[in-house]
Formats: sequence, structure tokens, C-alpha cells
Amino acid sequence: MPSFSMDNMVSILPEMIVLSLALAVLMFDLALPKDEKRYLAYFSVAGLAIAGYQTMNLAGLQLDTFYGMFVLDGYAIFFKVLFYIAAAIAILISIGYVKGQEMDKGEYYALILFATAGMMVMASGADLISIYLGLELMALSVYILAGFMRGSMKSNEAALKYFLLGAFSSGILLYGIAIIYGVTGTTNLAGIAAFIQSGQYSGPALTLAMILLVAGFGFKVAAVPFHMWVPDVYEGAPTSVTAFMSVGPKAAGFAAFLRVFTTALPGIQPDWTVIIASLAIMSMLIGNVVAISQTNIKRMLAYSSIAHAGYAMVGFVSGGMQGVSSVMMYLFIYMFMNLGAFGMVVMLRKDGVAGEELKDFAGLAKKNRTAALLMMVFMFSLAGIPPTAGFMGKFYVFMAAIDAGFTWLAIIGVMMSAVSAYFYLRVIMYMYMKEPEGEFELAAPLSLKLAMAVAVLGVLYIGMAPAGLIDFARISIAGMM
Amino acid sequence: MGIRQGILLALVFVPVLAAIPVLLVPSGRAARLIALIITAFELALSLVPFAVFMQPRPDGWLVRLDLSWIPAFGINFSLGLDGISLLMAALTAFLFMLSVLVSWDAIRDKSPMFHFMLLVMETCVMGVFLSTDLFLFYLFWEVMLVPMFFLIGVWGHGRKVYSAVKFFVYTFTGSLFMLLAIIGLYVIHGSQAGEYTFALEALKSTHVEPATGLWLFAAFFIGFAVKVPVFPIHSWLPDAHTDAPTAGSVILAGLLLKTGAYGLIRFGFPLFPEASAAYIPVILAVGIIGVYYAAWIAYAQEDMKRLVAYSSISHLGFVVLGIAAWNEVSLAGSVLQMVNHGITTGALFIMVGMLDERMHTRDISAFGGLWSKAPGLSAFFLLFIVSSLGLPGLNNFAGELLILVGLFKEYPYLAAAAFAGVVFTLIYLLRLAQKVLFGPPATDAEFHDLSPREAAILVPLAILVVVIGLYPRILIGPIEGPIKALVSPVAAVKTAGATPQAATAPAQTAAADRGGTP
Amino acid sequence: MLLQTGFIYFATVIVVCALMVITRKNPVHSVLFMLPLFFHVAGIFIMLNAEFVAAVQVLVYAGAIMVLFLFVVMLLNIQKERVRPRVGLKWTFTAPLGLTLFGFLVAILVRSQYNGTQGSFTIEAVKQIGNSQAIGQVLYTDFLFPFEVASVILLVAMVGAIVLAKKRLD
Repeated sequence: MPSFSMDNMVSILPEMIVLSLALAVLMFDLALPKDEKRYLAYFSVAGLAIAGYQTMNLAGLQLDTFYGMFVLDGYAIFFKVLFYIAAAIAILISIGYVKGQEMDKGEYYALILFATAGMMVMASGADLISIYLGLELMALSVYILAGFMRGSMKSNEAALKYFLLGAFSSGILLYGIAIIYGVTGTTNLAGIAAFIQSGQYSGPALTLAMILLVAGFGFKVAAVPFHMWVPDVYEGAPTSVTAFMSVGPKAAGFAAFLRVFTTALPGIQPDWTVIIASLAIMSMLIGNVVAISQTNIKRMLAYSSIAHAGYAMVGFVSGGMQGVSSVMMYLFIYMFMNLGAFGMVVMLRKDGVAGEELKDFAGLAKKNRTAALLMMVFMFSLAGIPPTAGFMGKFYVFMAAIDAGFTWLAIIGVMMSAVSAYFYLRVIMYMYMKEPEGEFELAAPLSLKLAMAVAVLGVLYIGMAPAGLIDFARISIAGMM
Repeated sequence: MGIRQGILLALVFVPVLAAIPVLLVPSGRAARLIALIITAFELALSLVPFAVFMQPRPDGWLVRLDLSWIPAFGINFSLGLDGISLLMAALTAFLFMLSVLVSWDAIRDKSPMFHFMLLVMETCVMGVFLSTDLFLFYLFWEVMLVPMFFLIGVWGHGRKVYSAVKFFVYTFTGSLFMLLAIIGLYVIHGSQAGEYTFALEALKSTHVEPATGLWLFAAFFIGFAVKVPVFPIHSWLPDAHTDAPTAGSVILAGLLLKTGAYGLIRFGFPLFPEASAAYIPVILAVGIIGVYYAAWIAYAQEDMKRLVAYSSISHLGFVVLGIAAWNEVSLAGSVLQMVNHGITTGALFIMVGMLDERMHTRDISAFGGLWSKAPGLSAFFLLFIVSSLGLPGLNNFAGELLILVGLFKEYPYLAAAAFAGVVFTLIYLLRLAQKVLFGPPATDAEFHDLSPREAAILVPLAILVVVIGLYPRILIGPIEGPIKALVSPVAAVKTAGATPQAATAPAQTAAADRGGTP
Repeated sequence: MLLQTGFIYFATVIVVCALMVITRKNPVHSVLFMLPLFFHVAGIFIMLNAEFVAAVQVLVYAGAIMVLFLFVVMLLNIQKERVRPRVGLKWTFTAPLGLTLFGFLVAILVRSQYNGTQGSFTIEAVKQIGNSQAIGQVLYTDFLFPFEVASVILLVAMVGAIVLAKKRLD
């Protein structure tokens, strides 16, 4: 029997910190009086910072542990850092919001941390089994979070819809994993790659399994045609949860998606390139075109999220060092700008109710210049206009695509970017060029302001000095490619 | 980094740095004052090179600044100043200062933000004229849209939001194609040379396959042509001009359109000598169509601002013709004409703005007999109109003449046709002058003559109109060297590739297909 | 031969039961059809020499989950549920689509080879050390990590059930 080395414990140190944090939050929750739950949020953010510090300490290690189930490498560390920041910003956004929506419970923060732990397992999974379990841990936590606003029918509906469709997609993913196991006799990513490389495999079952995996992961990253749940769930879920959901699970989905396909299935790359390329095209097309007709800003951002999954997949298709690092950078940037945009939606309350309609933004610039300015930066970034980070992300993705010979994909992406400029601009138009109606009420506690400051600084800093992030992404995958 | 590089850096970044305090000051008055001081400082700064360092370095640039920016992508922060960009930078500084002045009373609403946008805009325009790294150039080129979008959309009039969005979407789409072409060229160069870089000099040496080159140049051309704007993709311009505030129109006509032409001169042709040679018939065609078509439409306009806007398209048609002919004379004419058009059309927009402020209409029929009521204003108006139609002795004449002479060398018949276009210009501009300045007064309303501030704006413009008209050498002097350097490599290709007509014929049809889609 | 006949029997019953579950009008009938279904699944596990899994299948699914389902069904208003037909117009579109897809899946799976690498636990090895020991051994070595993650998932499910279902305390 193989011996159990200390490496195992070292490699899962970040996961253990986050899980202990979640458990501690659950327990402290009992001791805190009803109106003081915000301390749990501060505690969680502090804990995430410690986890981040510990994770960065592990940088440079390459540990394959738990009998091939788990791997700690640069790639995983990159995504873990992304998840910490996403979770921390999402928690900071939530503090005031959960109070206003009467969902101010300790479990809220614990579930975000559990979801984060699940995402971390996904990023580190070296075996389809552990990836699947990480995915379920994340998904289950997010299902619950989506339905956290118990009094709201919309929130209930969103949670149920997300749960049912999510369970269905998990089933498809599992079916794909089962077929892969049947064909190759292993669920280990390296083992699968080795088997395919050996040339013993014959018959189309592996392709079928690959398609099923694409469907399962495609659901998580919100790619067309597995996007049906996105608008309803994004609209119905509490906005702070939507904010988290649109960046964390999406990035985690991509993390696992990329790792499985680039390490386990490089042998059938031509097959999946075609499929993912068509997914990318459909996502960019449908996401951007349908977003134009939306009047609810959460729905608009939902379709924009679909479109951004499409852009990220352009980098995915391009493959190689450039392609993978471009997707990583894109997701990192997307995290800042999308959390920022949703944070502004959280902030805006109009006539006593949550301002989720586009017209609720009318004349914001007159009432609150800073808020309008921030929203403008996030919108320009999502549209990909320099000097914001969104531009750098798109630039890198399209560059990778052209470099890999997928010029036509880049052309479609660019045309759809032009389309997207219209609906992002419309928000700016409403804020700056329309007269305000009704009373604005900006619910901006210090924590939310802090979160927005981090997001906007991230967007602008990466937009003007992206060199550090590019190097981080490239070094992270040096060992993997 | 020496003092010269410092000046270059200051030219680009002083406005945007000053923009931040402008946004934060509470009163509009303080914002205006800071903006005026900064733009005046910029103007002074842009004139320093004229006086101090006109000796080019061995590589042709007067000043170069190269800083590493994003090494992972081979992107440098590279600025370069030569005669052409110096002229454009000086024009930029000059027109921005005028823009602050003309907005002095006109913009009262959200004045700090207006001046913030103006200063950000100045940085971007300067950046476009000074960048020698394609990525940096694209960055400034793209950011430029944002302040303009706000200038039109917030402080404009009429269907301002519609026009602002139209302007943004048109130019954004065009420039995205250029972005793809930039990346394409970068990738090709990287795979050839092994070193990935966006530096203009390095990319010039790239060997591009003829077929690929045609596509890349087409994408570049679309990006630039939308801004110029060239005939089939010009429709954003009349709307944007009509609905923009006066300062916005001045900057649009005086500078934004020039960035397109400048891009063709600095990047489009030198990067793709073969491909651009193949496209010359197309470019000449859209140029000459623009001259006639816009003049025709301008004649039918009742709104003075729209009329001047269409006259811009017509004038820029000449500039495009001069660029397409690509010899030393025509190119000098084009650059000269870019400056002249900036001055004259800027002045016309300012004057239309003044009339609008007095009568609250820009309808030609609402005016008449101004000469008797406001002789000072009318005299200036007439001066700028005759300058615009190319009266000998005034600035536009010099530029147009050079373009026509250069064009005649290459394409005599086309030059003749273009010359006839000048007559068209004469018709609609004289109609404007006749209806507004002479004839019976349309109303009995009180009409003020120029205020001292207005006179202070118009006098320097008028002086420039006359001085450049009488002595164009002051502008041609600095650009002779750089133009020679630009012309020779492309011209060499043109003469070498002139014989295989068959090769260029399919390219023309392909280009026509693409050129037609906005 | 016996093995094949057995498999065909179990598989047929499973498929028929599954169809019954989703087509019955009465939800109680639906749930009751799950009972033979679970037992037959257990039968297949036994044929694969996985007695432990078979036992767990019966204990957990037939014993616990089924009972839970029945409780839930009892709590709902069955009268309302009963009226609604289970097979509607939608089926005329979805059923052919589903069947085609199913056909594709079968065709693909049948045409493929399954010659993947064999693990160390062959049937003989399992028989030698016993079923539960084999599972225990694997569960706490090779699959230790997923096992632990699964425990966290269960915890989250519990937290979720409490959060979503508990009565408002305030």
C-alpha cells in the first residue's frame, strides 16, 4: 500500500483553511446576536486573505497528491487566487444587501465559503471524480444561495430552476465520465491521456463522452446552447448572489473545463476544437444580440455573461500556452468588471425598491457622480474599450485566436463586440443623458464602497499595466503545457 | 530621458493629469480657468519644437521616446515627433484652446465635467498624432471616442443621444477591424522575425503575402476611412456635427477627421506598400465621389451646421485624393490641407455657433442682411467662407493647389475632375454667404456684433488664414523631410508593381466589395 | 448464458419500471414502482459481484429514500396532481427527439471497444479479500479525497435544507 506522505496535507492546505473558515462561520453564527451577522462577513474576508497568503506561499510547488486525485500546481493557484478575490468582493457586496432583503443569516457567508471550497477542488482536481465532487459542492451551495431570499417567489423559482437544470447537467456530465471510464478504464486525467496516446482506443464512444462533458461544463460556464437557465436565474436570485454566481462558478467551470480538455483529451483536440468553436460563436452571437432587447439590467448582464463565456471560449479554442493563459487572464478581468457592475446594481435602490430596471439608472449622474462614474468604467470595460481591463482581456483572447489561425473566430468576436457596445453604452446613456425620475437611494455601506474601489482599481490597473497579470498567468501554466 | 522627451511626454499627459482636478473643482468658473491655462500651456509647448529643435535625427524623427510598457506582448510606449506630427500637434493644441474659449459662455451645465472630457480628449488626440507603436496608437484612437461620445450626448442639442451613439458605434466598429488587422500584422511579423513587437518601424519591414496584405490593408482602410470619413461610410458625420456643441464640432472637424487621414499617411500606406498600391483606384474613386457627392448634398442643406459638415466631407475628399496620389507634392498638399481645413472649418463652426447663440436657430432662411447689422461678424464670416472655397491668397488655395498639381502628375484626367469639384464648392458656399450676409434682413431682431472674447477667438484664426495663404512655406518647411521619407519606399513599390495590371484587377473588385460595407 | 439471461431480465424490469414511474397519473403509484426498480438495480450489482453495493442500494434507496418520497407525496395534494395527465401533447415532439438521441447513443456505444486498462481489483481479488474490505480499502486510500469532499457536500445539503425550510425564527 502506498504510504501517506505529508505532501498530501500541504497540498490541500488552502482548501482546509477555507473549509475550516466555513465551519467556524457556522459556529460563530450561533454566538452572534441577530443584527450583528456582519462580523461573520468581516471574519470570512479576513480568513480568505489568510488563505490567499498561504496559497501564494505554495506557489512554485508541483504536488500530485491523494493517489492522483488532487494536484497543486500554478494553474490551480492562479484560479484559487481568483476565487478568493471573487468571494471576498462578493461578501463585501453582500453585507448591506442581505440586511435589506432580510436574508441576513450566518449561513449565507458559510455557503459562499463552501462554494469557494468546491471551486478550489474543481481547479485542483486531477481526476474526473474529484472534479465532479468539487463541482457538486460548489453547485449545491449556489443552488441554496440562489433561493436564499425565501420571501421572494422569483428567488424560489430561480433556485428551483437552477437546481433542476443543474442536476440534469450534472447527470449528463456523469454519464460522460462513466463512458470515459468504460473506454479507458480510468478516471485519472493523466491516465486518460496516456490511454488515448497509446492508440488502443477505437470507436466513437470517446467522442460521445467528450460531447457529454462539453454539455456538462458548458452548462456551468453558461455557454449557448446550455444557457437557458441563465437569464431567469440571474434575474431571480438575490443580486449579491448573482454577482458571485456570474464570476466564481463560471471561472471554476472554465478551470475544470480547460484542465480536463487540455490534459486528458489533447489526443482528440481536432474533435473538441470544432465543437467548442461553434459553442463560442453561438454564445457570442446569442448573448450579445439578445442582450440588446433587455430592459432589466440583471437580465442584460446575464446575456452579457453568456457572451463573455463565448469570448473566453475563443481563447480556449486557440489552445496552447497563449490560448490557455488568455482565457485565464480574461476570467480574472471579467471577475473584477462583472462584480463591479453587479455591485452597482446592488447599490442602487429606487423609491424604496431595488433598482433593477434599466430606466432606474436614468439621470444617476446628476444625483451621484461617483456612482455613475464607476458604473461607466465597468460598462466600458465590459464593452472592451481601452484603457480598461476589458479591452486587454479581449485583445489577448483575439490575439491568441489569430496567432493560432482562428482569424474567422476573432472576426466574429470583434463584430459581436461592436454589437455589445450598443447595450453597454445604453446604460451610460441612461445615466448621463436622461433626466432623473423619482428618488435615488444609494445603499452604500462602507464595505460596498470598499468592494467597488477594489473592483474599479482592478479594472483600471490591469487595463493600464497588464504585464504583471499576463506574466502571472503564463508562469502559472508553464508546468502544465 | 532628456528635456525633449519630457516635452513629448508633457504634450500627451499634461491634459489628462490636469483633467482630474478639473473634475473635482466645484465651480464651473474654476474648471474653465484651469482648462484654459492648461490648453494655453499645451499650445506654448507645441510651439517650442518649432523654435528650438528642428534638426532631425539620423532616423528622421525630431524626438523619440521609447519606454517599455507590456513586454509580454512586445508593446512599448513609443512616441515620435516629426514635422507632420508636429504640425498636427500644434493644430491640436490651438484648436483645443479655442474650444475652451468658445465654450466659455455656451457651456454652463456640468461645466467641470465638460472640461474634463475636453482635456481627456486632448490627450487622446495628441497621443494619436505622436504614437509610433501600433498598440499605443490604437489605444489612443479608441479612447478618443469616449469623451467625444459624451461631448455630443450630454452637451449637444437636437437628437444628441442618437447622434452620439451613431458616432460611437460607427467608429468603434471601424476601428475594431483595424484592431484585427494590427494583431494580424503583429502575428505575421512575429512568426517571421521571431520577435513580437508593435513598433511601427519593425512592422514596416514585415513581408506580407499579397493576398493577406489586401485583407489587412482593407481592414486598416475601413478603420481610417470611417473617421475621415470617406463616401459610403460617412453618414454618422452630419448627425454628429449638427448635434454636437460648438466645441465638439470644432474638434470633430478640426482634429478627429484628421486622425483618419493622418493614420493613412503614417500607418496605412507605409505598412502595406504593395496592398495600398493595389487599392489606389478604389481610394481615388471614393475620394472623388466624396468631393462631388458631399458638395451636392451641402447645396441642399438649410441648416448651416449641416452645410459646413458636408463641406468637410467634400474637403476631406481632396485630402484623400492627395494621399492616394502619393507623391511628394500631393502629400504635402494633403498635410497642408489637413491643417487648413482644421483652421477654416473650425472657424466656420465657431461662427455658426455664434450665430446660433444670437438667433437660436441655424436655419439659413432665418438670416439675411447681416452685413448691415453686424459688419464685424459678417466680415469674418465672409473671410472664412472665401477661404473655404479656395480663394487664391488664402490658406485653402495653397493646399488644394498642391493636391491638384500632385494629382495631375499621376492622374491628369482625375485632377481635372477634382478641379471641377472646386467649382461645386464655390456654388454652395457662395449661396451661404449670399443668403446670410446680403439680401434683405430676415428679421428686425436686435443683433449684437462681436464681443471682445469672440473677436479674440476669431482674430488669430483670421491671421492664420491669411498668413498660411500668403506664405505656406512656414508649414511646408517642416514636413518636407518626413514626406520624402514616406514617399520613397511606397513609390518604389508603385513603379515596380505598375506593370502587372492583371494582378491588381481582382483586388480592386474585392476591395470594392469590402469598401462598400460600413 | 445464465448471466446474460439474468441481465436481460433485470434490465428489462428496470426500464419498464422507470417508464411506469414517469407515466403514472397517481404519484403514489409512481413512487411504488420505484421499489421494484431499486431491487432490480441491486440485482444487477449482485451479478457484478458487488454485494456490498447491492446491500447499500437496497438499504439506502429502497429503505430510506423511497420512504421519504412517499412521505413527501402524502404531504402534497394528490387529488390535484392526479387529474393532470402525465403524457401530454408535448410528448409527440419530445419523445421522437429523445428516442432518436437514444438511438444514437446506443449505436455509438455498441460500436465502440472497451479495452481500457484494468485495475488491481479483479473479480478474483475481490472474492479473495471480501467485498466490504475491498471497498473500505479503496475508499480510504485511492478515494480518500473524494470521500472527504462528499462528506462536505452532505453537510452543505443539510445546511441548505435547514436554511430553506426552517420556520422563521423572528
